[in-house]
Amino acid sequence: MSEKDAGGGDPAEMISCQEALEKVYEYLDGELGAPDQDKVREHVKICRQCYPLFDFERAFLDFVREKGFAEEASGDLLERVKAIVREDG
Amino acid sequence: MTATGEQRTREFESEALPHLDALYGLGLRLTGGDESAAQDLVQETMLRAYRAWDSFELGSNCRSWLMTILRNTFINDYRKRKSRPASVDYDEIAERPVFMDAKATDPEGKFFSRLIDREVIAAIEGLPIDFRIPLVLADVEGLGYQDIADLLEVPVGTVKSRLFRARRRLQRGLYDYAIEMGYIR
Repeated sequence: MSEKDAGGGDPAEMISCQEALEKVYEYLDGELGAPDQDKVREHVKICRQCYPLFDFERAFLDFVREKGFAEEASGDLLERVKAIVREDG
Repeated sequence: MTATGEQRTREFESEALPHLDALYGLGLRLTGGDESAAQDLVQETMLRAYRAWDSFELGSNCRSWLMTILRNTFINDYRKRKSRPASVDYDEIAERPVFMDAKATDPEGKFFSRLIDREVIAAIEGLPIDFRIPLVLADVEGLGYQDIADLLEVPVGTVKSRLFRARRRLQRGLYDYAIEMGYIR
């Protein structure tokens, strides 16, 4: 992203694609402080290299969150836990 | 067992035991799919929960209370064993975003949804432990960076970099697998 494409913002404030890329997960996790969060948002909003990448990463994180938590049949664990508890009194 | 003891046990069984499969799922994610370690972890969790049952407020979220006990039990043990050097060679990890390779054919990452749940779980559980734990805590349990740092007793910067690498590694693994299976052409 060249500075002249920066649109309304102050060009001096624009971060580079590399900086945006390094902060992608912190940004998507909402873990950046206010000034950095804004800087990344501004960059991604107008950078056509970065916005599809950020969308891709967001889709990936949503996917992991959706699939990562799965219950698992615990088999005879139920009986074992019951026995342990009863034994403990 | 006294009458009140019997009541306490029944209460515990009806409130806590329905969450067994959820706890076992989290146990498997944390232990990297080690069934026997995950079973031990769940049993230990349930015993601790039972002994602390009087401190549990009926009506509050029993599942998240149990999850916290399980997570703390596991992390305490993990921290104790952590005197060993870092088990991961950080320099060798490819950090190139999968997007760079996928953008020509699948810029929206549609291939992810073609993966079967089991394959995704296996990829998470297959991550090296130092990467897997922050990823499970962040993406499965939904904890923030500071909470993870406090739990693991490492700086927040370490959580950030491990989580970053964990996600990129997972993403890369899923992508390679999707290609291998013909989900991406």
